[in-house]
Amino acid sequence: MGLSRREFIKRTAALSAASYVGMHLPFSLEGKARAADADRWVRGSCRLCGVGCRVDLGIKNGKAVALRGVPESRTNLGYVCMKGMLFYKILGHPERLTKPLYRSTKTDKFKEISWDQALDIAAKQFADSVRKHGSDSVAYYGSGQALTEETYLFQKIMRGGLQTNNVEGNPRLCMASAVGGYLTSFGADEPIGGYADIDQASCFFIIGSNMAEAHPVVFRRVMKRKLDNPNAVKIINVDPRISPTSRIADMHLQFKPGTDLAILNAMAYVILEEKLYDEEFISNYSTFRQSKKVEVDFDTYRKFISDYSPENAAETCGGNITADNIRQAARWFAKSNGTVSMWTMGINQRKRGVWANNLIHNLHILTGQLLKPGADSLSLTGQPNACGGVREGGGLCHILPGHRLVKKEKLRNQVELAWGIPKGRIPPKPGYHTMAMFSAINAGKIKAIWVHCTSPAQSLPNADLYRKGMKREDVFIVTTDIFPTKTTELANLVLPTAFHFEKTGVYGCTERRSQITPKAVDPPAGARPEVWIVREWALRLARELNDPVIKKCVEPFIGKEESFDLPKAIWDEYSQKLTKGRDNDLRGATYDVLMKMADGVQWPAPTEEFALTGGTVKKFVRGMDPMADSEARDDKPYQFYGPAHPDRKLWIWLRPQQGPAETPDAEYPFYLSTGRIIDHWHTTSMTGRIPELMRANPYAFVEINPKDAAKLGIKPGDMVEVKSRRGTNVLPAKIYEGPIQGMVFVYWHDMFEDRMINRVTKDAYDPGSKEPEFKICACRIRKVSGPKPLKPYIVS
Amino acid sequence: MPIGGFVISIDPSMEKPILKNLERFGDIEIHGTDDSGNIVAVIDTATSDEMEKLVKTLSRMDGILTVGLTYFNAEDEIEKIEAGEFVPKISFGKKNN
Ligand code: SF4
Repeated sequence: MGLSRREFIKRTAALSAASYVGMHLPFSLEGKARAADADRWVRGSCRLCGVGCRVDLGIKNGKAVALRGVPESRTNLGYVCMKGMLFYKILGHPERLTKPLYRSTKTDKFKEISWDQALDIAAKQFADSVRKHGSDSVAYYGSGQALTEETYLFQKIMRGGLQTNNVEGNPRLCMASAVGGYLTSFGADEPIGGYADIDQASCFFIIGSNMAEAHPVVFRRVMKRKLDNPNAVKIINVDPRISPTSRIADMHLQFKPGTDLAILNAMAYVILEEKLYDEEFISNYSTFRQSKKVEVDFDTYRKFISDYSPENAAETCGGNITADNIRQAARWFAKSNGTVSMWTMGINQRKRGVWANNLIHNLHILTGQLLKPGADSLSLTGQPNACGGVREGGGLCHILPGHRLVKKEKLRNQVELAWGIPKGRIPPKPGYHTMAMFSAINAGKIKAIWVHCTSPAQSLPNADLYRKGMKREDVFIVTTDIFPTKTTELANLVLPTAFHFEKTGVYGCTERRSQITPKAVDPPAGARPEVWIVREWALRLARELNDPVIKKCVEPFIGKEESFDLPKAIWDEYSQKLTKGRDNDLRGATYDVLMKMADGVQWPAPTEEFALTGGTVKKFVRGMDPMADSEARDDKPYQFYGPAHPDRKLWIWLRPQQGPAETPDAEYPFYLSTGRIIDHWHTTSMTGRIPELMRANPYAFVEINPKDAAKLGIKPGDMVEVKSRRGTNVLPAKIYEGPIQGMVFVYWHDMFEDRMINRVTKDAYDPGSKEPEFKICACRIRKVSGPKPLKPYIVS
Repeated sequence: MPIGGFVISIDPSMEKPILKNLERFGDIEIHGTDDSGNIVAVIDTATSDEMEKLVKTLSRMDGILTVGLTYFNAEDEIEKIEAGEFVPKISFGKKNN
């Protein structure tokens, strides 16, 4: 008897799941193949977080109708989370932007205009600003969600064309401290290993990360490793808040926010005291540093660390921390066959985020828990292309493509040569970092800014302060996005763009892996790929400013078809010319190779032949990393050739405990921390439009420890005012044994003014990485009313 | 009416009561189990909203460790949205609040 179409799809679903666990089902679909579920499948990456899961998008009649994980993919082994499963709905969402919108003053209503008009206006505004106020009066603010080709082309026009390094992006708000940590500890950005280490690790050290919610597919992998080896594998979770991640932990260290540097130093204390360090590894491959220029010896480090006895640290840290559990954590970490540390914003978004990163790396260097299978110090990225596009592609004010520092003349000249533009064209001074950029807008120093694929009006800390600047009539704001956002509300020109799978490009995820997503469906009529927008804008800019060098910047791309040939030409230029000989050598990762690979390529991958093997699983290891061989200076198995450490060593840092910029006091007695929830991602302009996700968590709430709630007479659902020195929110209460006593926690996805927590957070930032301390500030809370019916809010 | 293929990972010692619990949900078809605590299931709900809720409920059940998706098809729902037969309950206007 023939199967009904639904029955066929159900069997397809069952067989797909069964194949993951090697289970045989009493039926097969052999000989019954038909296009019941999709006409064709297009392979790409999920766009909704930094894990980089590979998916096949099922297309039927030109529409995306289905999604399945890619089992051969080393990033996700075929699993996908619910958020990833639903993102395809964005593709056909009725509220997508499809027409360029313009208003000359921000109090006017937007009117629809043609693309020609829009591009003319954008070019004229930027050109006018450069003519009247100089090159540094214009800026670009991009995103870790933009494709590498987009970030690369934008920054090329800004630096090579308009001669400003005012190029920034939202990874400054989430990853900059991790970059600083890797550079200062290992001499090179991005992790040494990757997800493959999870499958061989015996100890997981998860700190400042609720990965169960923020990186669910990686969490699944950790959980699988634990379940397969329940006694041999230990999981340590270090966080002031009990989260779903703590569920699988053997030990959860809960402490007073901002005191974790003391815990990390105390673990190092135990490692020294109990001689758990790897003496040979330390003497072969590391040095001790007090500062970049001051090298010290092991004894000085020992002396420094002597202040951090577990007993002292337990006193500093409070919570449930005891000297015994610090000792136990250090032993598990040091003695395991392989330890993987993982962290996210709890470590990065801190006044001392770089130091916190250094102290995690210290533990790995001291114990030699690096470079071998199952051991790595692995910073997880939040966005799908913070690594690939922004960190590697030159998307921050101080870096050029290929991990080159702006301030180094030789490196600037290499870029100028590659671009065929005059020597000295790229200015030597780094541009404004994010917080300085928005302060410059407040001060009226920036007159035109292009905001791409992100919403700083909602995502900057102390948002009210910076929104004031964005509201200025003498600041012209262009935005490129797929939906209206809090920032498009403040823009003069809103340009509708193609979404993921509606255009082609490359993302680089957490583990140095570049993966291509080709166009699978047409964008809604009127929306265009950004690379086309930038090219056309640059050609107009060249005319406006009568500057042939600007035209030169896009010359190789003129006339290319926009959905594949154009991004391919941009990628070719970037990968072949700008990564050649750099530590992120991507020359082997051509579009041809990337299209062939189930899961992309890990750099360095200097040749196509090597890229086709998947690339470099472990950096710096001879025999695994071709650059460790080509750059070798001796016959040691590990070669640290990263650009930031001329001594080719790993640096163990002497970094003291330092608390947050603002601590609770009599007036503001609580710590406030913020974070992401599984169903939402960043400012909800995408996920907020997917009803399933909105219904699950329609609005932000404030999590309060039951003991604090009892003291303040707050009951579940009561409306609670959360007030800091900067702003106020009113949110419903969730009474929950999550945050430690004395701390409240708010999710940061809500767009409604009263529940937009970044109006309350503090804009202090790390002096090294310039990443703001979103994670910790002081606040006070009080009940304002009983429960109230609330509705979700999305900008329309 | 979306259809999802799932691998539900459970504590193997709790297989019997968990399977019994799962039977209570009419939308879940169990296709197989193994000794390592894997259950292969197909979930077929009226809307993807319901599927999401159900997955959340399952994730919280005793003995269930993860609910992993491998395949998802929402063709019927998309057709309905396009035909205007299925209107999402939430409207996204700024006047909502
Ligand atoms: S874990 Fe991240 S990348 Fe993977 S499916 Fe979920 S949202 Fe997408």
